[in-house]
Amino acid sequence: MPYKLLEVDKEIPERKNHVYVKHCSDPEDHIPNCNTKTIPGSMSERGCAFAGVKGVITGAIKDVIHVVHSPIGCTSYGYGTKRYPTSPDLPNGEKFPIENFNLKYILGTDLQESDVVFGGIKKLRQSIIEAHKEFPEANAIYTYSTCTVGLIGDDMDAIAKELTEELGKKVVAFNAPGFCGPSQSKGHHVGNLTLFENLVGTKEPPSTTPYDVNLIGEYNIDGDLWVIKEYLDEMGINLLSKFTGDCSHDEICWMHRAKLSLVRCQRSATYIADLIEEKYGVPYIKVDFFSTKYCSENLRTIGKYFGLEKEAEKVIEERMAKVGPELEFYKDKLQGKRVFIFSGGPKSYHLSKPLEEELGMETVAVASQFEHKDGYKKMKDRVNDGTIILDDPNSLEFEEIIEEYKPDLILAGVKEKYLAHKLGVPCILIHSYENGPYMGFEGFVNLAKDMYSYIYNPVWRMLEFEDEPTEYGVEKGLDKQLNCDGLKEDLESKDQNKQPDGEVA
Amino acid sequence: MSCINVIEKERNVVINPLKTCQPFGAMFAVTGINKGFPIVHGSQGCSSFVRYGFARHFREPSEIAVTSLHEDAAVFGGRKNLVAGIENLAVRFKPDLIGVITTCSSEIIGDDVYGFAETARENIRKTMGEDAQKIEVVPISTPSFVESHYKGYDNSINAIVNHLARKDEPNEKVNIIPGIVNPGDVRELKHLLSMMNLEGIFLTDISDPFDAPLRPSTVTTKPFYPKGGVSVDEIRDSANSLGTVSICKYAGSGALSLEKEHNVPAEIDSPPIGLQNTDQFLRNLKKFTGHDIPDDLLNERGMLVDSMADNAARYLFGRKVVIYGDPDLTTGIARFVGELGMEPAMVCTGVKGPEFAKDMDKIAKETGCNMDVMVGQDLRAVEVYLKENPADLMIGNSDGRLISLDLGIPLIRVGFPVYDRVGYQRQPIVGYRGGLYLMDLITNTILEKYYEPTHWKLQQ
Repeated sequence: MPYKLLEVDKEIPERKNHVYVKHCSDPEDHIPNCNTKTIPGSMSERGCAFAGVKGVITGAIKDVIHVVHSPIGCTSYGYGTKRYPTSPDLPNGEKFPIENFNLKYILGTDLQESDVVFGGIKKLRQSIIEAHKEFPEANAIYTYSTCTVGLIGDDMDAIAKELTEELGKKVVAFNAPGFCGPSQSKGHHVGNLTLFENLVGTKEPPSTTPYDVNLIGEYNIDGDLWVIKEYLDEMGINLLSKFTGDCSHDEICWMHRAKLSLVRCQRSATYIADLIEEKYGVPYIKVDFFSTKYCSENLRTIGKYFGLEKEAEKVIEERMAKVGPELEFYKDKLQGKRVFIFSGGPKSYHLSKPLEEELGMETVAVASQFEHKDGYKKMKDRVNDGTIILDDPNSLEFEEIIEEYKPDLILAGVKEKYLAHKLGVPCILIHSYENGPYMGFEGFVNLAKDMYSYIYNPVWRMLEFEDEPTEYGVEKGLDKQLNCDGLKEDLESKDQNKQPDGEVA
Repeated sequence: MSCINVIEKERNVVINPLKTCQPFGAMFAVTGINKGFPIVHGSQGCSSFVRYGFARHFREPSEIAVTSLHEDAAVFGGRKNLVAGIENLAVRFKPDLIGVITTCSSEIIGDDVYGFAETARENIRKTMGEDAQKIEVVPISTPSFVESHYKGYDNSINAIVNHLARKDEPNEKVNIIPGIVNPGDVRELKHLLSMMNLEGIFLTDISDPFDAPLRPSTVTTKPFYPKGGVSVDEIRDSANSLGTVSICKYAGSGALSLEKEHNVPAEIDSPPIGLQNTDQFLRNLKKFTGHDIPDDLLNERGMLVDSMADNAARYLFGRKVVIYGDPDLTTGIARFVGELGMEPAMVCTGVKGPEFAKDMDKIAKETGCNMDVMVGQDLRAVEVYLKENPADLMIGNSDGRLISLDLGIPLIRVGFPVYDRVGYQRQPIVGYRGGLYLMDLITNTILEKYYEPTHWKLQQ
């Protein structure tokens, strides 16, 4: 039987269809049931649609004001979300005057009981006007619906339209109240549609080249995008628009002018690539830059598309020369280590094979909070027989997987990390990172290094008090010989806008 | 004549809030109960954002369930979700107490949470048999669009006490309502109580749940429950204590309920941050119990006094401090920096309340400073203020880190959340020892920032 009812789920048997153990002779459509409503009280790790739109899609845009139309909570929680660094550079060559604007400010309407009774529109209107006065330098104002607003029925689109004219600045309303859809995935979708319908095709880029691409679904977590941008720059490919890592409002407006769209996070952003292809005929390819193998393959594909094969080879060759020996070291250390990947969605299939093939690890379990069928198909394709695939695992299942599959390492989020540690298993943040970027050739080394330092953290050898002193073999110790500082400095010197230290997630 | 100048909010929009909504306070309170499980009747974000926040600050697991309201519940009501949610939680996690926490959405839909919770409780008693008889289900009303996280904390302590407290034999204990504080603070309060030879009932006690040891051999799994927290039985027994001290002026309802219902006298005061506030806390304990303050504790006081005598005048006197954050925390810190001879030039809280300005007025008179005061304001207001009115030091949470960086004013991290440094959740700022820690932190920060590293002034 490919579907498995975990021991902890015996009281909620509907979970059985969400848990699948791969067996190669199964029909292709055997995958976990997914993108369905969450079971109440199950201790799901999912978030809401508002988190999907502000936390994932728009929060990375560097020059817009975010006004959350909500009781104060959603506004507070929308502050300090993912690690989305931005540079002040704007496409017209100017600099945005406030550094890290996207991380620095969040605005909200602080809805009160009277607003719930009489409607919040007046307050929203006033708030947006005040936001405009407070930050005149911002290039647009984005405003977000939340549960309260969805229930009281404020017409945010009407206000956005009215104020766009009145202020002479684009105001965009995102209608993804927290309760809509089964998970944050619904918010991704609303974000895509809203940006497409309101912005794409409304402006022309200052200049174009025959090598213009959109990089879609890449949010620059810990500087991922800057790693990829460097490769593309060297190949002679121009990032006309980013969606939405280190991106400015205007870039979204001229996405229709690219020659090709590259879709990186295929869960949260294939929607807009489809829409742009349909309406403007810009083709897209799905890309994957995690690991040296996928990164090389995809740079070659892009090179081939533009006739820049040699340039692609040069980038690959140079980077491989740089990271190859280090990866060999980590492969040696990580060989045979069992890993459980619990990502939001795509990283579970981006990383499963590379960890096995390039680092010798064994992917024993993969899981996702909000993937859809297409994602689970890829996940299934990229794991070995016997690997368990879970949709929306809850915290009891998380414990059972740890007990049954005995991973040496877990890649998950901050909500799961400390539970894993309490159970004695090291856990790395994979939504945001530990010491990213994790993408591209250098990023894969960072990931390998973090996995290595977490697994070989000496503390795991001394978890309990022993009556007699214990001798530990040196081969298990952290190898101090290896020095990655050179590589780190290299990355940091390119990262002009390095974050003030320390944000956890 | 020293006085306060209350700076009114000039705009409607909130920019970088210094407060959050009611359910947060309730989730915090229920986490402090041994095998207590919060379930939020709302959308998934209502629990996941808060869990994220707790995990980020405490670096600990935070298990909070949610009824996962989706569109159908918004249209047809959340009865099905709430009843199923409580049942699923009860049968799979077998908690001692389930705190059913409402949100904006469930309050707007108008769900009869009390009725639904009762239905669920009856169901689990029928289906689960013996196991379920002791599971307490406590509905806590926390509409997100009314007041702030403090109100939610107050509502939940009150609801829990009202639900559980039962008059029985007197117990010689003291109830403490600690407010939204760190594990280190609760542990320091316990230390003060133990020095006074007293046992406390903490309503509630997050010290172990939010700062738990890593000991796989002893951990309970499937489900994981952290050790510690106040037990349901202890909360029941709170009706028999000698008195209740709420060290949070904004969360006194539980103390007043115990006074009214069970004749347990209540004292609602500022948190014991700094010398005089700690003195007052001990006086309150003495009043209820008749226990004298022992010599060892007076020696702890003496050590703080000694440090203040030795260092405050030399390094801290006249330094301007801007303090922002929760109202009780900022009140305590403002008074303490005043005791150190510093100037609490501006104090800002995001929470509204009539007490705040009154407390600040008292501190202004005590310290002889003219103080600016912001009530119900936000972090942007602090930033704009600081640009026009430079200060030597900021005291507040990590959300001020970029302001601190931009303006070159060092930031002393206190309160919630602190996520860009480690260990702050473990260090107390209450009590005499907490005062010493905070004073050292302030002094060393001043030395680091304002004294040339090679200057002879740094030579003792």
